[in-house]
Amino acid sequence: MAGDRAVTVALDGYGAEQGFDVLEAGARLAAADGIGVRVFGPRRALGLDGVAGIEVLDTADHIGNDEDAVRAVRAKKESSVVRAARDVAEGDSDALVSCGSTGATMAAATFGLRRLKGVQRPALAVQLPVPGKPVLFLDVGANVEVRAQHLVQFAFLGAAFSHAVLEVENPSVGLLTVGEESGKGREEVVEAHRLLGKASGIDFAGNVEGRDLPAAKADVVVTDGFTGNVALKLLEGTAKTVAAAVGDAARSNPMAAAGGLLLKPALDGLRRDLHPDTTGGAILLGLRGIAVVGHGSSGAEGIANAVRLAARCAEVDAVGRTAALLAEGGAGRAALAAEGDG
Amino acid sequence: MTRDQVLTLVREHLAEELEVEIGRIDEGTRFKEDLDADSLDLYELVMELEDNYGVTVSEEQATHIKTVGDAVGFVLEHAPA
Repeated sequence: MAGDRAVTVALDGYGAEQGFDVLEAGARLAAADGIGVRVFGPRRALGLDGVAGIEVLDTADHIGNDEDAVRAVRAKKESSVVRAARDVAEGDSDALVSCGSTGATMAAATFGLRRLKGVQRPALAVQLPVPGKPVLFLDVGANVEVRAQHLVQFAFLGAAFSHAVLEVENPSVGLLTVGEESGKGREEVVEAHRLLGKASGIDFAGNVEGRDLPAAKADVVVTDGFTGNVALKLLEGTAKTVAAAVGDAARSNPMAAAGGLLLKPALDGLRRDLHPDTTGGAILLGLRGIAVVGHGSSGAEGIANAVRLAARCAEVDAVGRTAALLAEGGAGRAALAAEGDG
Repeated sequence: MTRDQVLTLVREHLAEELEVEIGRIDEGTRFKEDLDADSLDLYELVMELEDNYGVTVSEEQATHIKTVGDAVGFVLEHAPA
Protein backbone atom coordinates (compact mmCIF):
# COMPACT_ATOMS: atom_id res chain seq x y z
CA MET A 1 0.00 0.00 0.00
CA ALA A 2 1.24 3.44 -0.87
CA GLY A 3 1.38 5.84 2.07
CA ASP A 4 -1.60 6.00 4.37
CA ARG A 5 -4.32 5.56 1.77
CA ALA A 6 -6.75 2.68 1.98
CA VAL A 7 -5.78 -0.46 0.14
CA THR A 8 -6.75 0.16 -3.46
CA VAL A 9 -7.67 -2.30 -6.17
CA ALA A 10 -7.52 -1.69 -9.92
CA LEU A 11 -10.65 -3.29 -11.36
CA ASP A 12 -11.02 -4.09 -15.05
CA GLY A 13 -14.36 -2.51 -15.95
CA TYR A 14 -14.99 -4.93 -18.83
CA GLY A 15 -15.42 -8.68 -18.94
CA ALA A 16 -18.28 -9.31 -16.53
CA GLU A 17 -20.57 -11.55 -18.56
CA GLN A 18 -23.64 -10.31 -16.69
CA GLY A 19 -22.96 -6.76 -17.81
CA PHE A 20 -21.88 -3.39 -16.51
CA ASP A 21 -24.72 -3.23 -13.96
CA VAL A 22 -23.33 -6.26 -12.15
CA LEU A 23 -19.78 -4.95 -12.26
CA GLU A 24 -21.01 -1.63 -10.91
CA ALA A 25 -22.83 -3.37 -8.06
CA GLY A 26 -19.76 -5.46 -7.25
CA ALA A 27 -17.55 -2.38 -7.11
CA ARG A 28 -20.03 -0.64 -4.81
CA LEU A 29 -20.09 -3.63 -2.43
CA ALA A 30 -16.30 -3.71 -2.21
CA ALA A 31 -16.05 0.05 -1.73
CA ALA A 32 -18.61 -0.16 1.06
CA ASP A 33 -16.06 -2.33 2.90
CA GLY A 34 -13.57 0.53 2.80
CA ILE A 35 -11.56 -0.74 -0.15
CA GLY A 36 -10.51 1.88 -2.68
CA VAL A 37 -11.52 0.81 -6.19
CA ARG A 38 -10.13 2.29 -9.39
CA VAL A 39 -12.31 1.06 -12.24
CA PHE A 40 -10.93 1.03 -15.79
CA GLY A 41 -14.00 1.01 -18.01
CA PRO A 42 -16.57 3.09 -19.86
CA ARG A 43 -17.57 5.90 -17.51
CA ARG A 44 -21.10 6.38 -18.88
CA ALA A 45 -22.02 2.68 -18.86
CA LEU A 46 -20.70 2.10 -15.35
CA GLY A 47 -22.53 4.90 -13.60
CA LEU A 48 -20.09 5.01 -10.69
CA ASP A 49 -19.21 8.69 -10.72
CA GLY A 50 -19.38 10.24 -7.29
CA VAL A 51 -19.49 6.97 -5.37
CA ALA A 52 -17.33 7.20 -2.26
CA GLY A 53 -14.16 5.14 -2.54
CA ILE A 54 -14.54 4.58 -6.28
CA GLU A 55 -12.70 6.32 -9.08
CA VAL A 56 -13.54 5.62 -12.70
CA LEU A 57 -10.74 5.97 -15.22
CA ASP A 58 -12.56 6.22 -18.51
CA THR A 59 -11.34 3.44 -20.78
CA ALA A 60 -12.80 2.66 -24.18
CA ASP A 61 -10.68 -0.28 -25.28
CA HIS A 62 -10.70 -3.82 -23.97
CA ILE A 63 -9.49 -7.32 -24.87
CA GLY A 64 -12.10 -9.90 -25.74
CA ASN A 65 -12.13 -13.61 -25.03
CA ASP A 66 -11.69 -14.41 -28.71
CA GLU A 67 -8.43 -12.50 -29.11
CA ASP A 68 -4.92 -13.93 -28.94
CA ALA A 69 -4.12 -12.90 -25.38
CA VAL A 70 -0.38 -12.28 -25.58
CA ARG A 71 -0.58 -10.50 -28.92
CA ALA A 72 -3.50 -8.34 -27.78
CA VAL A 73 -1.80 -7.35 -24.53
CA ARG A 74 1.28 -6.23 -26.43
CA ALA A 75 -0.73 -4.34 -29.04
CA LYS A 76 -3.50 -2.77 -26.94
CA LYS A 77 -1.60 -0.66 -24.45
CA GLU A 78 -4.72 1.37 -23.55
CA SER A 79 -7.06 -1.57 -23.05
CA SER A 80 -8.72 -1.85 -19.67
CA VAL A 81 -6.78 -4.83 -18.31
CA VAL A 82 -3.41 -3.51 -19.50
CA ARG A 83 -4.11 -0.09 -17.97
CA ALA A 84 -5.22 -1.70 -14.72
CA ALA A 85 -2.05 -3.80 -14.55
CA ARG A 86 0.03 -0.69 -15.25
CA ASP A 87 -1.80 1.12 -12.45
CA VAL A 88 -0.56 -1.53 -10.02
CA ALA A 89 2.97 -1.52 -11.44
CA GLU A 90 3.13 2.26 -11.06
CA GLY A 91 1.93 2.11 -7.46
CA ASP A 92 -1.42 3.84 -7.85
CA SER A 93 -3.23 0.61 -6.95
CA ASP A 94 -2.17 -2.32 -4.80
CA ALA A 95 -3.73 -5.18 -6.73
CA LEU A 96 -5.38 -6.06 -10.04
CA VAL A 97 -8.75 -7.75 -10.55
CA SER A 98 -10.29 -8.72 -13.87
CA CYS A 99 -13.28 -10.88 -14.72
CA GLY A 100 -12.42 -10.68 -18.41
CA SER A 101 -10.34 -13.01 -20.56
CA THR A 102 -8.24 -15.24 -18.31
CA GLY A 103 -5.44 -15.38 -20.86
CA ALA A 104 -5.35 -11.61 -21.30
CA THR A 105 -5.39 -11.05 -17.55
CA MET A 106 -2.52 -13.48 -17.05
CA ALA A 107 -0.52 -11.91 -19.87
CA ALA A 108 -1.20 -8.33 -18.74
CA ALA A 109 -0.29 -9.21 -15.16
CA THR A 110 2.81 -11.20 -16.05
CA PHE A 111 4.21 -8.55 -18.40
CA GLY A 112 2.95 -5.57 -16.44
CA LEU A 113 3.77 -6.63 -12.91
CA ARG A 114 6.70 -8.89 -13.79
CA ARG A 115 7.67 -12.14 -12.14
CA LEU A 116 9.14 -12.27 -8.68
CA LYS A 117 12.90 -12.56 -8.80
CA GLY A 118 13.83 -16.20 -9.29
CA VAL A 119 10.33 -17.34 -10.29
CA GLN A 120 10.31 -19.13 -13.61
CA ARG A 121 6.57 -19.52 -14.19
CA PRO A 122 3.65 -17.84 -12.44
CA ALA A 123 0.87 -20.27 -11.52
CA LEU A 124 -2.87 -19.86 -11.34
CA ALA A 125 -4.31 -20.98 -8.01
CA VAL A 126 -7.88 -21.51 -6.83
CA GLN A 127 -9.39 -22.30 -3.48
CA LEU A 128 -11.40 -25.50 -3.81
CA PRO A 129 -14.41 -24.97 -1.58
CA VAL A 130 -14.08 -28.20 0.35
CA PRO A 131 -16.51 -27.81 3.26
CA GLY A 132 -14.64 -27.08 6.46
CA LYS A 133 -11.17 -27.06 4.96
CA PRO A 134 -10.57 -25.25 1.67
CA VAL A 135 -7.76 -26.61 -0.46
CA LEU A 136 -5.49 -24.35 -2.48
CA PHE A 137 -5.02 -25.97 -5.89
CA LEU A 138 -2.47 -24.90 -8.48
CA ASP A 139 -1.68 -24.66 -11.35
CA VAL A 140 -5.13 -24.64 -12.95
CA GLY A 141 -4.18 -23.40 -16.36
CA ALA A 142 -1.25 -21.03 -16.64
CA ASN A 143 1.32 -23.66 -17.69
CA VAL A 144 0.25 -26.61 -19.80
CA GLU A 145 3.74 -28.10 -19.68
CA VAL A 146 6.03 -27.85 -16.69
CA ARG A 147 9.45 -28.94 -15.50
CA ALA A 148 10.23 -30.36 -12.08
CA GLN A 149 11.61 -26.99 -10.94
CA HIS A 150 8.32 -25.32 -11.85
CA LEU A 151 6.37 -27.76 -9.68
CA VAL A 152 8.75 -27.14 -6.80
CA GLN A 153 8.23 -23.41 -7.13
CA PHE A 154 4.44 -23.88 -7.30
CA ALA A 155 4.68 -25.72 -3.97
CA PHE A 156 6.41 -22.73 -2.38
CA LEU A 157 4.06 -20.21 -3.99
CA GLY A 158 1.04 -22.15 -2.75
CA ALA A 159 2.41 -22.65 0.74
CA ALA A 160 3.20 -18.95 1.08
CA PHE A 161 -0.28 -17.93 -0.06
CA SER A 162 -1.97 -20.50 2.17
CA HIS A 163 -0.08 -19.24 5.18
CA ALA A 164 -0.23 -15.50 4.48
CA VAL A 165 -3.73 -15.12 3.07
CA LEU A 166 -5.71 -18.16 4.21
CA GLU A 167 -4.01 -18.20 7.61
CA VAL A 168 -3.18 -21.89 7.54
CA GLU A 169 -0.43 -22.52 10.04
CA ASN A 170 2.32 -24.63 8.48
CA PRO A 171 0.27 -25.72 5.43
CA SER A 172 0.91 -29.21 4.09
CA VAL A 173 1.70 -29.47 0.38
CA GLY A 174 0.81 -32.47 -1.78
CA LEU A 175 1.96 -33.32 -5.29
CA LEU A 176 -0.86 -34.59 -7.52
CA THR A 177 -0.02 -37.76 -9.39
CA VAL A 178 -1.20 -41.32 -9.98
CA GLY A 179 -0.04 -43.05 -6.81
CA GLU A 180 1.25 -42.41 -3.33
CA GLU A 181 4.70 -43.94 -3.87
CA SER A 182 7.53 -41.54 -4.72
CA GLY A 183 8.23 -43.17 -8.08
CA LYS A 184 4.69 -42.75 -9.42
CA GLY A 185 4.03 -40.29 -12.22
CA ARG A 186 5.76 -38.61 -15.12
CA GLU A 187 9.49 -37.92 -14.99
CA GLU A 188 9.09 -34.29 -13.89
CA VAL A 189 6.73 -35.29 -11.09
CA VAL A 190 9.12 -37.93 -9.77
CA GLU A 191 11.95 -35.40 -9.84
CA ALA A 192 9.79 -32.75 -8.16
CA HIS A 193 9.00 -35.28 -5.43
CA ARG A 194 12.72 -35.82 -4.88
CA LEU A 195 13.42 -32.09 -4.69
CA LEU A 196 10.47 -31.34 -2.42
CA GLY A 197 11.38 -34.23 -0.16
CA LYS A 198 14.55 -32.45 0.90
CA ALA A 199 13.29 -28.86 0.64
CA SER A 200 13.25 -26.75 3.77
CA GLY A 201 10.63 -24.20 4.70
CA ILE A 202 7.56 -26.16 3.61
CA ASP A 203 5.71 -29.20 4.92
CA PHE A 204 5.77 -31.63 1.99
CA ALA A 205 3.04 -34.24 2.43
CA GLY A 206 4.16 -36.41 -0.49
CA ASN A 207 2.06 -37.54 -3.42
CA VAL A 208 -1.71 -37.21 -3.45
CA GLU A 209 -4.17 -38.74 -5.88
CA GLY A 210 -7.23 -37.24 -7.52
CA ARG A 211 -9.58 -38.59 -4.88
CA ASP A 212 -7.52 -36.82 -2.19
CA LEU A 213 -8.33 -33.40 -3.64
CA PRO A 214 -11.94 -33.15 -2.44
CA ALA A 215 -10.93 -35.04 0.71
CA ALA A 216 -8.56 -32.18 1.60
CA LYS A 217 -5.67 -34.53 2.29
CA ALA A 218 -3.30 -31.59 1.93
CA ASP A 219 -3.79 -27.85 2.39
CA VAL A 220 -2.09 -27.13 -0.92
CA VAL A 221 -2.06 -29.42 -3.95
CA VAL A 222 0.33 -28.84 -6.84
CA THR A 223 0.18 -30.02 -10.44
CA ASP A 224 0.74 -28.81 -14.00
CA GLY A 225 -1.75 -26.45 -15.61
CA PHE A 226 -3.23 -29.02 -17.99
CA THR A 227 -3.97 -31.59 -15.31
CA GLY A 228 -5.09 -28.88 -12.91
CA ASN A 229 -7.56 -27.38 -15.33
CA VAL A 230 -9.05 -30.75 -16.25
CA ALA A 231 -9.34 -31.72 -12.57
CA LEU A 232 -10.93 -28.38 -11.64
CA LYS A 233 -13.54 -28.56 -14.39
CA LEU A 234 -14.25 -32.20 -13.50
CA LEU A 235 -14.84 -31.28 -9.87
CA GLU A 236 -17.09 -28.35 -10.81
CA GLY A 237 -19.07 -30.47 -13.24
CA THR A 238 -19.44 -33.35 -10.80
CA ALA A 239 -20.60 -31.04 -8.02
CA LYS A 240 -23.20 -29.50 -10.32
CA THR A 241 -24.48 -32.87 -11.55
CA VAL A 242 -24.69 -34.33 -8.04
CA ALA A 243 -26.45 -31.23 -6.75
CA ALA A 244 -29.01 -31.46 -9.56
CA ALA A 245 -29.53 -35.17 -8.88
CA VAL A 246 -30.09 -34.49 -5.18
CA GLY A 247 -32.64 -31.82 -6.10
CA ASP A 248 -34.45 -34.17 -8.46
CA ALA A 249 -34.53 -36.90 -5.82
CA ALA A 250 -35.88 -34.46 -3.24
CA ARG A 251 -38.77 -33.57 -5.54
CA SER A 252 -39.53 -37.12 -6.61
CA ASN A 253 -42.35 -37.81 -4.13
CA PRO A 254 -44.15 -36.08 -1.24
CA MET A 255 -42.13 -37.80 1.48
CA ALA A 256 -38.82 -36.84 -0.16
CA ALA A 257 -40.10 -33.29 -0.68
CA ALA A 258 -40.89 -33.00 3.02
CA GLY A 259 -37.41 -34.22 3.88
CA GLY A 260 -35.94 -31.78 1.37
CA LEU A 261 -37.74 -28.88 3.05
CA LEU A 262 -36.28 -29.86 6.41
CA LEU A 263 -32.80 -29.99 4.93
CA LYS A 264 -33.14 -26.78 2.92
CA PRO A 265 -31.55 -24.35 5.40
CA ALA A 266 -28.48 -26.56 5.79
CA LEU A 267 -28.25 -27.19 2.05
CA ASP A 268 -28.53 -23.50 1.26
CA GLY A 269 -25.51 -22.82 3.46
CA LEU A 270 -23.60 -25.61 1.79
CA ARG A 271 -24.58 -24.32 -1.67
CA ARG A 272 -23.30 -20.89 -0.70
CA ASP A 273 -20.00 -22.36 0.52
CA LEU A 274 -19.56 -24.30 -2.70
CA HIS A 275 -20.58 -21.49 -5.07
CA PRO A 276 -17.66 -20.21 -7.18
CA ASP A 277 -18.58 -16.60 -6.28
CA THR A 278 -17.70 -17.28 -2.65
CA THR A 279 -13.95 -17.66 -3.16
CA GLY A 280 -13.59 -14.62 -5.43
CA GLY A 281 -11.75 -16.31 -8.28
CA ALA A 282 -8.25 -17.47 -9.07
CA ILE A 283 -5.05 -15.71 -8.13
CA LEU A 284 -1.92 -15.56 -10.23
CA LEU A 285 0.96 -16.38 -7.91
CA GLY A 286 4.63 -15.62 -8.46
CA LEU A 287 4.43 -12.00 -9.58
CA ARG A 288 5.76 -8.80 -8.04
CA GLY A 289 2.18 -7.68 -7.62
CA ILE A 290 -1.22 -9.18 -6.96
CA ALA A 291 -3.55 -10.30 -9.73
CA VAL A 292 -6.93 -11.95 -9.23
CA VAL A 293 -8.82 -13.49 -12.13
CA GLY A 294 -12.50 -13.36 -11.30
CA HIS A 295 -15.08 -15.65 -12.87
CA GLY A 296 -16.53 -14.17 -16.05
CA SER A 297 -19.95 -15.32 -14.88
CA SER A 298 -19.58 -13.70 -11.45
CA GLY A 299 -22.48 -11.91 -9.92
CA ALA A 300 -22.04 -8.71 -7.92
CA GLU A 301 -21.04 -10.61 -4.79
CA GLY A 302 -18.49 -12.64 -6.77
CA ILE A 303 -16.91 -9.48 -8.16
CA ALA A 304 -16.87 -7.91 -4.71
CA ASN A 305 -15.25 -11.05 -3.30
CA ALA A 306 -12.58 -10.96 -6.00
CA VAL A 307 -11.79 -7.37 -5.01
CA ARG A 308 -11.82 -8.33 -1.31
CA LEU A 309 -9.43 -11.24 -1.99
CA ALA A 310 -7.05 -8.93 -3.86
CA ALA A 311 -7.24 -6.35 -1.08
CA ARG A 312 -6.53 -8.97 1.55
CA CYS A 313 -3.46 -10.16 -0.37
CA ALA A 314 -2.17 -6.59 -0.37
CA GLU A 315 -2.92 -6.06 3.32
CA VAL A 316 -0.97 -9.12 4.41
CA ASP A 317 1.89 -8.46 1.98
CA ALA A 318 1.39 -11.79 0.23
CA VAL A 319 4.01 -10.89 -2.38
CA GLY A 320 6.72 -10.02 0.12
CA ARG A 321 6.03 -13.11 2.18
CA THR A 322 6.12 -15.30 -0.91
CA ALA A 323 9.49 -13.87 -1.91
CA ALA A 324 10.79 -14.50 1.60
CA LEU A 325 9.65 -18.12 1.61
CA LEU A 326 11.19 -18.76 -1.81
CA ALA A 327 14.50 -17.36 -0.58
CA GLU A 328 14.33 -19.25 2.71
CA GLY A 329 13.61 -22.54 0.97
CA GLY A 330 16.24 -22.10 -1.74
CA ALA A 331 13.54 -22.34 -4.39
CA GLY A 332 14.73 -19.57 -6.69
CA ARG A 333 15.75 -20.29 -10.25
CA ALA A 334 19.50 -20.33 -9.62
CA ALA A 335 19.27 -22.50 -6.52
CA LEU A 336 17.03 -25.04 -8.24
CA ALA A 337 19.29 -25.11 -11.31
CA ALA A 338 22.26 -25.87 -9.06
CA GLU A 339 20.23 -28.56 -7.33
CA GLY A 340 19.36 -30.12 -10.68
CA ASP A 341 23.01 -30.15 -11.71
CA GLY A 342 24.05 -31.71 -8.44
CA MET B 1 23.43 4.52 -28.79
CA THR B 2 26.43 2.26 -29.20
CA ARG B 3 26.66 -1.50 -29.55
CA ASP B 4 28.33 -1.68 -26.14
CA GLN B 5 25.47 0.22 -24.47
CA VAL B 6 22.84 -2.13 -25.85
CA LEU B 7 24.96 -5.16 -25.02
CA THR B 8 25.34 -3.95 -21.44
CA LEU B 9 21.58 -3.53 -21.02
CA VAL B 10 20.86 -7.00 -22.43
CA ARG B 11 23.53 -8.63 -20.26
CA GLU B 12 22.34 -6.87 -17.11
CA HIS B 13 18.72 -7.74 -17.81
CA LEU B 14 19.49 -11.42 -18.40
CA ALA B 15 21.81 -11.70 -15.41
CA GLU B 16 19.14 -10.20 -13.15
CA GLU B 17 16.15 -12.10 -14.47
CA LEU B 18 17.78 -15.48 -15.06
CA GLU B 19 19.98 -15.32 -11.96
CA VAL B 20 23.19 -16.11 -13.87
CA GLU B 21 26.66 -14.60 -13.57
CA ILE B 22 26.97 -11.66 -15.93
CA GLY B 23 30.39 -12.97 -16.94
CA ARG B 24 28.68 -15.97 -18.52
CA ILE B 25 26.90 -13.74 -21.02
CA ASP B 26 28.50 -12.46 -24.21
CA GLU B 27 27.35 -11.82 -27.76
CA GLY B 28 27.61 -15.46 -28.69
CA THR B 29 25.50 -16.70 -25.78
CA ARG B 30 22.41 -18.62 -26.90
CA PHE B 31 19.27 -17.92 -24.91
CA LYS B 32 17.84 -21.41 -24.86
CA GLU B 33 20.86 -23.68 -24.95
CA ASP B 34 23.27 -21.66 -22.80
CA LEU B 35 20.95 -19.81 -20.42
CA ASP B 36 18.00 -22.19 -20.24
CA ALA B 37 15.72 -19.27 -21.07
CA ASP B 38 12.18 -20.11 -22.14
CA SER B 39 9.56 -18.25 -24.16
CA LEU B 40 8.42 -16.16 -21.20
CA ASP B 41 12.00 -15.06 -20.50
CA LEU B 42 12.39 -14.02 -24.12
CA TYR B 43 9.10 -12.12 -24.14
CA GLU B 44 10.30 -10.13 -21.16
CA LEU B 45 13.59 -9.35 -22.89
CA VAL B 46 11.72 -8.20 -25.99
CA MET B 47 9.55 -5.92 -23.86
CA GLU B 48 12.64 -4.51 -22.17
CA LEU B 49 14.13 -3.69 -25.55
CA GLU B 50 10.87 -2.16 -26.77
CA ASP B 51 10.57 0.01 -23.67
CA ASN B 52 14.17 1.17 -23.67
CA TYR B 53 14.89 1.64 -27.36
CA GLY B 54 11.51 2.23 -29.00
CA VAL B 55 11.85 -0.77 -31.29
CA THR B 56 8.91 -2.98 -32.17
CA VAL B 57 9.59 -6.68 -32.42
CA SER B 58 7.05 -8.81 -34.27
CA GLU B 59 6.43 -12.46 -33.42
CA GLU B 60 8.13 -13.44 -36.67
CA GLN B 61 11.18 -11.28 -35.94
CA ALA B 62 11.40 -12.60 -32.40
CA THR B 63 11.77 -16.16 -33.63
CA HIS B 64 15.01 -15.19 -35.36
CA ILE B 65 16.59 -13.73 -32.22
CA LYS B 66 18.44 -16.69 -30.77
CA THR B 67 21.58 -15.16 -29.28
CA VAL B 68 22.51 -12.09 -27.29
CA GLY B 69 24.27 -10.75 -30.38
CA ASP B 70 21.08 -11.20 -32.42
CA ALA B 71 19.16 -9.08 -29.91
CA VAL B 72 21.79 -6.35 -29.88
CA GLY B 73 21.98 -6.31 -33.67
CA PHE B 74 18.19 -6.08 -33.96
CA VAL B 75 18.05 -3.03 -31.74
CA LEU B 76 20.83 -1.24 -33.61
CA GLU B 77 19.18 -1.97 -36.96
CA HIS B 78 15.60 -1.06 -36.00
CA ALA B 79 15.83 1.65 -33.32
CA PRO B 80 14.32 4.96 -34.42
CA ALA B 81 16.94 7.56 -35.25
